[in-house]
Amino acid sequence: MVLGIAIAQPAVFGIVNGAAFGLVAIGLVMIYKSSRVFNFAAGEFATLGAFGTYIGIKVLGLPYILAAILGVAAGTAAGLLTERLVVRPLADRPKVTVLVATAAIATIAIPLELMIGGVKTFPARPAFENGVSIFGVKIISKLGPSIFGVRVSPQLLLIMVSLIAIGVLLVWFFGRTDLGLATLATSQEPTAGRLVGIRLNRISMLTWGAAGFLGGLGGVLLAPVTASFTAGYGTTGVLISAFTAAVVGGMTSIPGAFLGGILVGLVQTYAQFDLTKVTGASSVALFVMLVAVLLIRPTGILGTEA
Amino acid sequence: MATTAERAAEDDATTALPYADDGKRRFRPTPGGWAGRAAFVLALALIVVWYVTANKPFRADELSAGVILAIGALSLNVLVGYTGQISLGHQAFIGIGAFSAAYVFSHNHQGFYAGLAASAVVGIVQAVLLGLIALRVRGLYFALVTLAWGFMAENAIFRITSFTGGGAGTPFPRPSAFRTDKTYLVLCGIVLAVVLLIDWRLVATKAGRALQALRESPNVASSYGVNVRGYTLFAFGVSGFYAGVAGALFAARRLTAGASDYTFIDIALPLLILTVVGGLRRRGGIVVFALLYVLGREYLPDWGQSISFLKDNAIYVVPALSGVLAILTLIFQPEGLGTITAPIGRWLKGERFELDLSGGSGAEGVDARP
Repeated sequence: MVLGIAIAQPAVFGIVNGAAFGLVAIGLVMIYKSSRVFNFAAGEFATLGAFGTYIGIKVLGLPYILAAILGVAAGTAAGLLTERLVVRPLADRPKVTVLVATAAIATIAIPLELMIGGVKTFPARPAFENGVSIFGVKIISKLGPSIFGVRVSPQLLLIMVSLIAIGVLLVWFFGRTDLGLATLATSQEPTAGRLVGIRLNRISMLTWGAAGFLGGLGGVLLAPVTASFTAGYGTTGVLISAFTAAVVGGMTSIPGAFLGGILVGLVQTYAQFDLTKVTGASSVALFVMLVAVLLIRPTGILGTEA
Repeated sequence: MATTAERAAEDDATTALPYADDGKRRFRPTPGGWAGRAAFVLALALIVVWYVTANKPFRADELSAGVILAIGALSLNVLVGYTGQISLGHQAFIGIGAFSAAYVFSHNHQGFYAGLAASAVVGIVQAVLLGLIALRVRGLYFALVTLAWGFMAENAIFRITSFTGGGAGTPFPRPSAFRTDKTYLVLCGIVLAVVLLIDWRLVATKAGRALQALRESPNVASSYGVNVRGYTLFAFGVSGFYAGVAGALFAARRLTAGASDYTFIDIALPLLILTVVGGLRRRGGIVVFALLYVLGREYLPDWGQSISFLKDNAIYVVPALSGVLAILTLIFQPEGLGTITAPIGRWLKGERFELDLSGGSGAEGVDARP
């Protein structure tokens, strides 16, 4: 049993943490699919989500669900603002220019968060503090169900469920809807897209708004896993894992980002659990993983052209 | 032809000579023009002297921080500006230099200059290692690699207690001749001058032209006989050299190398912003903006504290503003502050003063092929 837990615990943690990275990674993949840009502001979209929720609860005294909506709205607004102020004016420039501009967005967001909140650790409340009950019947306890002897909290279950739901939704969007196909078309040939009547600005607004939404949601859901967050949390804590997940998955594939997220979560957790003698083993593992994928198989697991 | 001649005639301070190549007349300033230029330099020097003497709590320490930041930004400029490869992990470049210098001091009982040399060597080595990856991975993906590299340095390398001394850090004193803040500023200024000299020679010689060709297109450069591998690694080495030296200076300024100083948010992001706003491939702009940045960081909070809702958080105003400035620069003036400093530099060398506000045709701001 002890051995079982020793293997199962990191596995379960890894998968669930990875699901969280996958959520942010899907946002990165969506932006890359639609505009061939690496969005370095994604981490701060997530911080804004967590921060909005915190302000909603502590400052405005809102109930959790409204505070969470406020957080997601903050992320979405940041995504839309980024599109309008940065991405659209720089649409014709080299993609690295846009990357620097999104990094500049993060540079603005982090001091702003510090200005409002100061240098401290903010508590992050999970969605279900007292377990999940429907009509007074408790279906999931506070600690959550036990999987291979490891407790999986309701928050982690929620993350898994949201990730799968959003993944399926986006695969359907890009594969089956006209708008999704139009989005892919504009990323490959903007001029041709415009010629057949696709409004590029609308598409751009849509994808960046959605990326902000996903980032905000990621922050709202992720921050409670570590119980707290700080200003700049999304950039320092989530961004690289999410990018590595996206790259491992192939940068253009939504199921790939999902798989990549879980793979990154597993590798990082095992490094942390088993290589305790190596300082910062999980960041070393992340770097090695990223470089290995880029050198050996740049298209990742499931990468394709679109 | 006629218009050129007319324009030359209009300029009263012109003794126009026919220029051999394309019929353009080469501009030469009159003695009066030279005097004006000398007066400009003198005025600048006077402002500096006035600043040093008139400001009672003269913030030499902050200024040396600005000079060190300028060296760090010049290091980033070699990568982004000359090779077209972006680095988001410069806290690793600077920090590894700082800790190497401190290690040589505390474990091998060597002095400041040995530490400085060690930081330069280790800085070159780590940058060349990263350069080996850059040979295969370019553009956006290389930016990711550097990001991960920076965080690995922050979370793993800087936390190896036997190397960095853990949370307390490792002491690294200033050299005996430059112990006070003012004299240390002089030392930093000397190092900056050396770095600028190296950088100038780097760009003005064969290596600079090779790097320019390489930045535009590695394939074309290679077909013209440019050694792509060699020059890429060379540029990374130069960048690592500047960064290592900046790290040693940074540590000695603080008198200790501590892991909490070398973070993504405090080093890598500001350096990127400095490089972009100063203007890629614009040494003058980068140095001037680095100094303005720290002076702003030093003085704006004093004013900001009088604004009630900012209070102590006024120190974050300058970083946030610099981000805004970076975005404005990228959109409207890709050459950054270089748009102003470069014409001044040309004017001082005896050319006409021509402010090119067209947005730098041909010279794209941040430019790397994916």
